[in-house]
Amino acid sequence: MSGRARFEYGAGLLLCGLLLVVALAPGFLAGSPDAVDIARRLAPPSAANWFGTDETGRDVYARVVHGAGTTLGIVGAAVVLAALLGGVAGAVAGFVGRLGDMALSRGADALLAFPPIILGIVIAATLGPGAVNLVLALGVIYAPVFFRIARAAALGEAARAYVEAARALGHREWAVLLRHVAPNVAPTVLLQCVILFPLALQIQAALGFLGLGVPPPTPDWGASLQESRNYLTAAPWLAIFPGLALLFAAVAALLLGRGLQSRG
Amino acid sequence: MLGALASRFGAAAATAVLSTAAVFLLIRAVPGDVVGEMLGQSAGDPAAEEALRAFFGLDRPLWRQYLGWAADALRGDLGASWRQGLPVAGIVGEAFLVTLQIGLATLALALLAGVPLGIVAGVRQGRWPDLAVEAFSLVALSAPVFWTGMVLLIAAGAWLGWSPPLVYAGPGEDLSDNLESIALPVLALGLLQAAAYAQFARQQTARVMRQDFVRAAVARGLPPRAVYGRHLLRNVAIPLVTFAGVILVQILGGVVVVETLFAIPGLGRTLLAAIQARDYPVLQGALLLAVLVALLVNLLVDLLYAAIDPRVRGA
Amino acid sequence: MWTLAISRRAALLGTAGLLAAPGLPHAQEAPPDVYGPADPQARRGGTLTVAIANEPPNLDPFHQAGDARTAVTVLMYQGLMYEHPSGDARPLLAESMQASPDGLTYTFRLRRNVRFHTGQPMTAADVKYSYDYIRDSSNGSPGATDFAAIAETAAPDDHTVVIRLSRPNASLPMTLTNRYGCVVPRDTFARPDARARLSQQSVGTGPFRLAEFRPQSHIRMARFPQYWEEGQPYLDGILFSVQPNAASLLVAVRNRRADVALLARPQDAEQLRDVQGLTIGTAPSLRQCALDLDSGHAQLRDVRVRRAIALAIDKRAVMQASIGGHGAVLGTTVAAMQESWGAPFDELPTQRPDRARALLAEAGLGDGFPLDLVGIIGFEWMDPAAVTIAQQLQRVGIRLNIQRVELGVWLNAFRTRNMRFTFNDWGTQPDPHILYYRHFRSPPQGADFRNWANADADRLLDRGMEASDPAERRRAYVELQKLMSDTVPTIMLFSPNLVTVTQSRVRNYAQHPTGWWFGLARTWIAA
Repeated sequence: MSGRARFEYGAGLLLCGLLLVVALAPGFLAGSPDAVDIARRLAPPSAANWFGTDETGRDVYARVVHGAGTTLGIVGAAVVLAALLGGVAGAVAGFVGRLGDMALSRGADALLAFPPIILGIVIAATLGPGAVNLVLALGVIYAPVFFRIARAAALGEAARAYVEAARALGHREWAVLLRHVAPNVAPTVLLQCVILFPLALQIQAALGFLGLGVPPPTPDWGASLQESRNYLTAAPWLAIFPGLALLFAAVAALLLGRGLQSRG
Repeated sequence: MLGALASRFGAAAATAVLSTAAVFLLIRAVPGDVVGEMLGQSAGDPAAEEALRAFFGLDRPLWRQYLGWAADALRGDLGASWRQGLPVAGIVGEAFLVTLQIGLATLALALLAGVPLGIVAGVRQGRWPDLAVEAFSLVALSAPVFWTGMVLLIAAGAWLGWSPPLVYAGPGEDLSDNLESIALPVLALGLLQAAAYAQFARQQTARVMRQDFVRAAVARGLPPRAVYGRHLLRNVAIPLVTFAGVILVQILGGVVVVETLFAIPGLGRTLLAAIQARDYPVLQGALLLAVLVALLVNLLVDLLYAAIDPRVRGA
Repeated sequence: MWTLAISRRAALLGTAGLLAAPGLPHAQEAPPDVYGPADPQARRGGTLTVAIANEPPNLDPFHQAGDARTAVTVLMYQGLMYEHPSGDARPLLAESMQASPDGLTYTFRLRRNVRFHTGQPMTAADVKYSYDYIRDSSNGSPGATDFAAIAETAAPDDHTVVIRLSRPNASLPMTLTNRYGCVVPRDTFARPDARARLSQQSVGTGPFRLAEFRPQSHIRMARFPQYWEEGQPYLDGILFSVQPNAASLLVAVRNRRADVALLARPQDAEQLRDVQGLTIGTAPSLRQCALDLDSGHAQLRDVRVRRAIALAIDKRAVMQASIGGHGAVLGTTVAAMQESWGAPFDELPTQRPDRARALLAEAGLGDGFPLDLVGIIGFEWMDPAAVTIAQQLQRVGIRLNIQRVELGVWLNAFRTRNMRFTFNDWGTQPDPHILYYRHFRSPPQGADFRNWANADADRLLDRGMEASDPAERRRAYVELQKLMSDTVPTIMLFSPNLVTVTQSRVRNYAQHPTGWWFGLARTWIAA
């Protein structure tokens, strides 16, 4: 592996690791994100509040740190959901007959025909705000990507001799799928998850920015950016720090993705 | 090839129908409708509500409503907005043109900024231009586009004392105001897309540079200009052009978010407003347009690719 | 700046003037200062740019409720009466009004020389057509419920309109003002595309007519040369520019691209203090930010629980968190009506968390309970308010689960009387009947959105509606408010101030307490 790739991989791992720590143990690093303190509202960054306070006096640093768990959790769950949904559907499409394949493929194409953010807006607006609904919306947006991967892999495998043999022997289709196709396709799927993570992160943040994200008072980076809109000039720290957090997370995922890709 | 084209077209049409039907059902699943929004907190008279609902056809069964809309749409009649009463085609068309202008301007910026950077990075692999471009693209791809927009807005206000015009003006109405209106959104989106383009261009350039005939040319001592001009550019041109198609759809998606931030009356804001107001005709019209545009662009890209690349043409 | 306290004396005198001693018909000339004071030094001409935060979905006063629409259509459409800032209704398109002794018949003499934007002159037949249209609920007008009080509208001659009521209704004059009661040419809605055309071309009698409406972008109005009031308006045109968020509104004001702006968030005035050449005016408003309690929902069925919630809330802290304190804490009526119609503050219960806990224990909920609080997406004040209230209720054991829904979803729940425990944000015209009746009276006369089902309240509301003696009316409404504060169908938190920002070249703008743009009809631009 070239030096550059090694650097990317290493840096990516390191940053992702840091993110995981922050996401899983926020209380360890910061105070409460919900402590309202009207007297200290809109205070600029200081020794007491490293990132300043928001319009109800809550500590922005605490909200960013706690927001990591919410935001990254939602995006992570969404990507996993997409992989499961799309993967299963794609594998089924690959094994089932032509009609079923066509139907499923058309369905996937229909989803892919929408620009992702628009699809996200429509689904999120339909389902209503909430973390679970966001996960569903994002999962549905990216499921077709995994559908295509799984379908291609399944189609490739389905024609193989050993599968024919297994069928002839009376083995169940899904058992064949599980035993032979899944292990082959797993690395690709994993890589795709890492690659899609920053994209899904952007969409989740955008949805939060448009008001379709998690409801208050749960800390979330996209929602924090939406709240910051009214104080762009008066309190720019409200916009800068959650944005930097998003930047950081996306960079980490991108580096890891590139590193994994170079690795092979 | 004609057969393949026809089947692609058919598939696209089927997809469009499926998408619109899905959207149709989906948005009606949300509680609340345009009648409630129009009556607001002055509601309370059931007769008035029923009358309004009948006026909009909301009391008919779902499949009737869909078929009615679909039949009209095929004839080119997208109906009238339930909120404003103005024809949907006009509203959606005007909004789309605004979005399209920004999208094309962004594409131009992405091309002009991203491609040279990417090519330079690809040619000088491993050296500082490459690393600089890598770093730039990493940051630009990671920053949320609306955050970039906000930062630009803050900076422009604080350092230049400048802010966009109050009312969006089309290029036909007032060109200078129009350019001022779209400057920041195009910049915010363009940076992101320039990074994507730079990455892609770098990848393609690196791929071509690795190929034997190029290395041979370099080994033979051909002057750089000849190498780049004749071999490199010709080979990366095709993928770059097709990438434009891919990016355009992404750009159109990204415009939606910045429109809200910069108060631009484009397709994104129209869509959001229609969802909030449960203005079904506008919503369906707008989504139909979005889907058709995406499908069309993909189709064109495939066609272009097939037309240019002799290897594919022969297949 | 401009004084807007609606003094009780003025209100009482005003209504007394209109409903004079029984037996004496009373004629009153329309004062020339409708919309605001005239200015003899006014310079004519120029176009004013106004930045607005909420876009009107369309410009049809007959089929669109909501303040966003009314705020701008009041410049193009007029009713028989005008809602004067002092709190009484003054004749506008009517020249005079007489009420019969039994309060069931109102006779209006129409102003002469009034023309519609289409050019044709206004007659009584047009008034009859307009009011009949609104009243007929099959036309789907949100004003139908307000106009249901009218039994019949008659036009005995070209310049006289007679309105007959089925029951006496002291707030009829206020109902005939400019929210829904606009006069348009007869048969306006006979054409099938009439509703669409109203968003492209205005057909009212107001000082401005519609020049251009671009959804999500702007509204352009032009001076109506044949306006009935001589020499008005001063401006040649008005441009309303839609700013989708508070930040862009402030930027527009700061960079002088907008001449006038009504701040969506009153606390944003703090950000403009350092800017030269701006005038910032503050006034109490007719709008209320409130908590609604559905008496048919879960633990809220028990009046002790509702009382406990009311006693646990510190309204001042909520207002501080939501709008930086730029408003007035409310008792049981909106800020701009407190002096004329409000129950005195010292007669209402104050915050007592210990009492709240005791009440909950009495109701068997001493260990506390979980409760959903609904907020609406897009109403920014609700987020910090929710957080603050959650904290306050936590102290008495109630664990709030904050939910947010879209406006359409919320309106649906509101309509179907399924409000649960929610925030609300609504405004009124300065009459207590218009404020309270439909919202709190049981069906079929009212809608009782909060399932309050209070027979005493029904009686008081009916009495307030029918009584012609202003003192008796006031007594009824004060008693109603005490009932409201005792059995708590709603907790009125605060009225945000109306904060209007004008550039130095803008003269003679007076902010109307409804928040609607009446004042622009009297505004002029200095050179």
